Amino acid sequence: MPIEIAKAKPAVTPDSNPSDPAYLKIRDLIYRISGIYHAEEKLYLLVGRCARRMVALGVVSPSEYLEHLTTRGNRDAELRLLLNEITIGETYMFRHPCQLDALRNVILPQILQVKGLISLKRLRFWCAGCSTGEEPHTLAMFLLEEKDKLLAGWTFDILATDLNDNSLEAARAGIYGEYALRSTSDALRRKYFKDIGNKKLQANDLLKAPIHFDRINLRDDSKMLFQKGIDIIFCCNVLIYFDLASKRRVVQHFYSNLLPGGYLFMGSAESLFQVDDSFRLVHFPGTTAYWKPTATQAGGGKK
Amino acid sequence: MNAKLQSQLQAQINKLDSVSTAPAILMPLLDMLRLPSDKIRLEKVVELISYDGSIAGQCLRLANSPLFGRRQTETVRSAVMALGLERVRSMLFSLCMNEVIPRDKWVIAPNAFWRHSLGCALITQRMAQKIEYPDPEKAYLAGLLHDLGFLVNSVLYTEGFRECLRRAAEQHLPLHVIEEQVLGFSHCDTGPMLCQHWGLSKELVDAARCHHDVSLLSTAGPLACLVHLSDLLCRVCYLGYGYDEIMGVDLGGDAAWEILVATYPALKNMDLVRFTLDIDGAMDQIIATVDSVFGAKRLAASATS
Repeated sequence: MPIEIAKAKPAVTPDSNPSDPAYLKIRDLIYRISGIYHAEEKLYLLVGRCARRMVALGVVSPSEYLEHLTTRGNRDAELRLLLNEITIGETYMFRHPCQLDALRNVILPQILQVKGLISLKRLRFWCAGCSTGEEPHTLAMFLLEEKDKLLAGWTFDILATDLNDNSLEAARAGIYGEYALRSTSDALRRKYFKDIGNKKLQANDLLKAPIHFDRINLRDDSKMLFQKGIDIIFCCNVLIYFDLASKRRVVQHFYSNLLPGGYLFMGSAESLFQVDDSFRLVHFPGTTAYWKPTATQAGGGKK
Repeated sequence: MNAKLQSQLQAQINKLDSVSTAPAILMPLLDMLRLPSDKIRLEKVVELISYDGSIAGQCLRLANSPLFGRRQTETVRSAVMALGLERVRSMLFSLCMNEVIPRDKWVIAPNAFWRHSLGCALITQRMAQKIEYPDPEKAYLAGLLHDLGFLVNSVLYTEGFRECLRRAAEQHLPLHVIEEQVLGFSHCDTGPMLCQHWGLSKELVDAARCHHDVSLLSTAGPLACLVHLSDLLCRVCYLGYGYDEIMGVDLGGDAAWEILVATYPALKNMDLVRFTLDIDGAMDQIIATVDSVFGAKRLAASATS
């Protein structure tokens, strides 16, 4: 009896020419909705992300995919799936060395100088939307490495929060594979991780000690009001899923959560333009951050 | 800077034309830089370029580079048409300066210098377009010329300037700060003197003089403010002078920003994060262009109009 071979679903090859105007429209839509912006020269990245969703949907032309994002009934869900694709691969340790350079070279010296005069020598960091923990663990490694240098005589703690219980559980366990550790040096791996076999490393007690994990919904006003006295907040690619009103409210909370002179880091392509004008945007080599001025610093720019 | 030092510098700069072996096209080119854009004639530009085979070759290379759309251009005339007269005029200038400065006098690596200058030219122009400044091509030229003083210092004070660069790189500080400490003056003094000596417009002279000194900006006009902001953006986007500077810049709180907003309110509608990402996107192309034009072995003098 002849065996019937199921016909494979015809492979869909999405049209991936970045100069197709539909991709520019998708780019503008993503920017408007989420604040994530792709420069003309980086449009190919967005095209690649769209291609995955287009394959999944069996869509070939970008203009048809644009319809899925704008006029079809499931557009909100599709937009979320595309945003997931855009931010995927963002999570590995030491993903943003420029942020750490800015901390080491400018931000921490500035904060230490001001706080050193008036209060306890203690710094508070908050990773809001820490997902599976790569960001707080990176920050902890960075701070522990500075403990005897820049931070000599100072203590610090890191609050790492997320809404998703599964992510939090993974973050607490602190078990990572090669992808997450691709930019972590051997020396740091040996110092802050233990080998648990199966090509996995687990954060050791030294690395876990400064991090406190908690479940916080950024939309929960009462819990947001409770966070006080923070020096630096990281909230990368979390608010992209929020509508403008909720985004505004969260950013206003962050502003109150921070001490004067504190900084907020957002995702590298994430803009708060027209979301908030209390913070001051500060450019550092290769990165930007939002600054809450102190009363005396509010007047002018810093060189 | 005291009057005695100023007159000494000026005397040195006046002699600069005879010190260096300027290509024959430099003087006619300077005449052209003094003209308003609408007075430049295509035939004149093509003639000038064709005069110097090495510069003609580099001009073609530029027209064919990815930054300008990777056109397949084979004649000087079509290269000039493709790039546009204004762009050609300012690019010619940088090609020409490369010939003017003797190889052993370059203190900042030529590639780093031109990446910064071309980067600043493009950013100044783009920002000018965003805020609806009436003459974006002049903005481009101002960005291109703002650091000419570095070349003056390289030629006239080679060893002293080399020491400035060494210290600035070691301490990760802005170069003009160290120039003041070591030389007693900076490229913001010598650059405008050369611009003036060449008879360039007051706005271009001011942009070269005021781009680091915020206190001078309010009297200098919008072009100097644009160049000041673009220079800062360039440096945070890794298009500095070839070393890492430690810096944190609040552009929105900068005096230049406030001066510009008063005349060009469109600046308020500029998303700076987005603008920076756009610049960042163009960086690779700026670097590739400068490297392909200035870095690689120059094309033989085979190009003709």
